[in-house]
Order: sequence, then C-alpha cells, then structure tokens
Amino acid sequence: MGSRRFGLSFALGAFLALGAKELFGQARIISLAATSPADLSLVITSGAIQTIAGVTDNAVNNFPSPVVIQTTWSVNPGQTNTVNLVAYFLVPAQALVGGTTQIPSSRVLARMSTGLPTTFTAITQNAFAGVGTAGGSLRLYSVNIGGSNKNSSRTDNLDLRLNLVGFPTLRAGSYTGVLNLRVITQ
Amino acid sequence: MHALLKNALLGTAALVLVGSSTAMAQVNLTSNVATVALTATKAATLTVSTDVASATLANITDNSTANQFTPVSLTTDWNLTAGSSVRMIGWFATPAQALVNGTDLIPSSKVEGRVGATPFAAFSNGPVGTVGVAGGSLQLFSQAVAAGSYFGTRTDQLDLRLNLTGTTTMAGNYTGTLNLQAIVQ
Repeated sequence: MGSRRFGLSFALGAFLALGAKELFGQARIISLAATSPADLSLVITSGAIQTIAGVTDNAVNNFPSPVVIQTTWSVNPGQTNTVNLVAYFLVPAQALVGGTTQIPSSRVLARMSTGLPTTFTAITQNAFAGVGTAGGSLRLYSVNIGGSNKNSSRTDNLDLRLNLVGFPTLRAGSYTGVLNLRVITQ
Repeated sequence: MHALLKNALLGTAALVLVGSSTAMAQVNLTSNVATVALTATKAATLTVSTDVASATLANITDNSTANQFTPVSLTTDWNLTAGSSVRMIGWFATPAQALVNGTDLIPSSKVEGRVGATPFAAFSNGPVGTVGVAGGSLQLFSQAVAAGSYFGTRTDQLDLRLNLTGTTTMAGNYTGTLNLQAIVQ
C-alpha cells in the first residue's frame, strides 16, 4: 500500500515537472483595464420652489431666494475639457403659463455671481452642446477640467427675476413654469 | 516569441479600444435634470380714478333741481379672477352732513347722482356689501363680468346735483366729500 502511494506521487510529480516547461511556453499576456465611469450629478439643495406672491406690472419682480445648486463630477481630464451648467425652458415662448397670458423666457432673467452671467441675463440663448432649447437657454458656468479638479464639486447660487418692464399688464391669476438645469461635459 | 508579440499587440489594441470607448462616453456626458418650479401670482385689482379732484356749483338756486355740479369723468379698471359684477358706489360718510357751511347742512338725501342716461337718484340708500353707509349711499352702476371679461375698464360721466326743491339755503359756501368706491360681487 505504501509503495503504491509512493509510485503514484512520483508519477504525478514527474508529470508536473515535465509539464512546467510546456505551460511556460504557452503563456498569454492578459491586458487588464479597469474603467471608472465618469460621473456627473446635479442637486438643488434649496430653492427648488420659487414663488412671487404679488407680481407688479411694468416692474422687475425678484424671486425671493436663490436656487442653491450643487454639482459633483468625476471625469477623466484627458477626455473632458470642461463641465458646463445650462438652464433652459422647454418652451421659451411659454416659460410661465397663465390662463390667457404667457410669460416668455426673455422675461425671465438669471444671475450666477460665481458663473458666467454675473449680471441678470435673459434666458434667451440657444442650446449648448445639445442641452437646452433654441432661444430658451442660458449657460450658467463653464469649468475647465485638469488633474487637480477631475474629481470635484461646486456650489452656486442662482438668482432669478421677472422683468415685466414694458410687458402688457398681466391678467390676475397664477403663472407657473419649470426651469430645467443640466450639466454637460465637453 | 511570435506568440508573445502577437499577444502583446492584441492586449495593446484592447487597451486602446477600451480607452477610446471611455473617451466617447465622456464627451457630451450629461447629468440628471434638476428642476426649479416657478410660480408668480398676479393679485386681482380694482381701481377707481377721476379726472378731477373737485366738482363745483358756482351758484345755488333754492327750491330747484337746477343745481348741477361740473361733471366728473369716472374710470373703473378691473383685473379679476372671480365675481359676477363690478359695482360702483358713491357715499357720504355722514349722510346728515353731506355738504356743510358752518352750522348749515345739506343732507345726502338732497344730493343726487347719475351715470350716463339714468335718472338722478339721491344718495340715501344703504351700503352695497361692505361699501357705503346706511342712508348715505347710491349705486351708480353694476357691470356684469365673467371669465371672458375679468380684465376690463370703463369710463363714465358722473353727474351730480343738489335737489333743493322745497329748500332754502343760507348764503355761503357748502363743501363736502363724496366717496367713490367699487366692489366686486
């Protein structure tokens, strides 16, 4: 029984020893690539609901509080030049909709003191890189991406107002709309 | 050796492909869409204005209705969300003393008004809603409104006179204040 076990072990050892060179000769190079997907996220931390209780005709009407926007990104600086935030209305002619009268996006002004429109600017630009609508958009900031900020975040305040100077008298009632915010890389 | 080189080239090619697909994914990479809900409310309004601040009667004629003040142009603007009528009310705060000349008084029952071609009527009615005072008020018009006419305006000529039939007044200047106020009902 003992000699039989020894014989089997010897045979297996010999096989492995003989096969080792053969395995080395058939080695493959396995290329490893682990990709961390780029990430962009946008969160409104406060001010997502903006209300003006009493609109005044033929005057500038400020929305009461800023919209606080937090953007977080993780991108490859070799493949991303900029991170851009765009605000837009889906239907620029009807940014805010009332019963009979609509307020166009040209009457909705935005300001981001930490961004591009540092003074109040009408939301009348065209789409940026496919984000937004023609005549109803406004690029709020553009951040150059490098190695130092490839994984980063920023928080900005967006101020909004209605400019009704010279606009026809609004019919009494409520006017509602949705301002969209989206980030895009370039 | 050839096999090693071949495998190395394949690996490099695979890395290049992986890299390029990542690059394509990061160009025009978009975030979620965040939204801001905007609401702006225009309050209902109802305003009354006149072209003049005073109406005068230079010479009172006793025992007569021929005591017409200079006419007043009265403009009413409304911008509403509800209601069925806009009513204009004229009223004196103290009906017994509509016009005063010291201790000599002309009550509101002797002051008459009208808008347009309607007959003159005395300011001696009760209030309409919360507008006016008992015995010193007169509804000058009632304008029907509905969803299609919640935004409107009208201008009327308001005629005022003293009806002194059966009355003799003491000489002097009689002054008073007629209040004009609209109400939606």
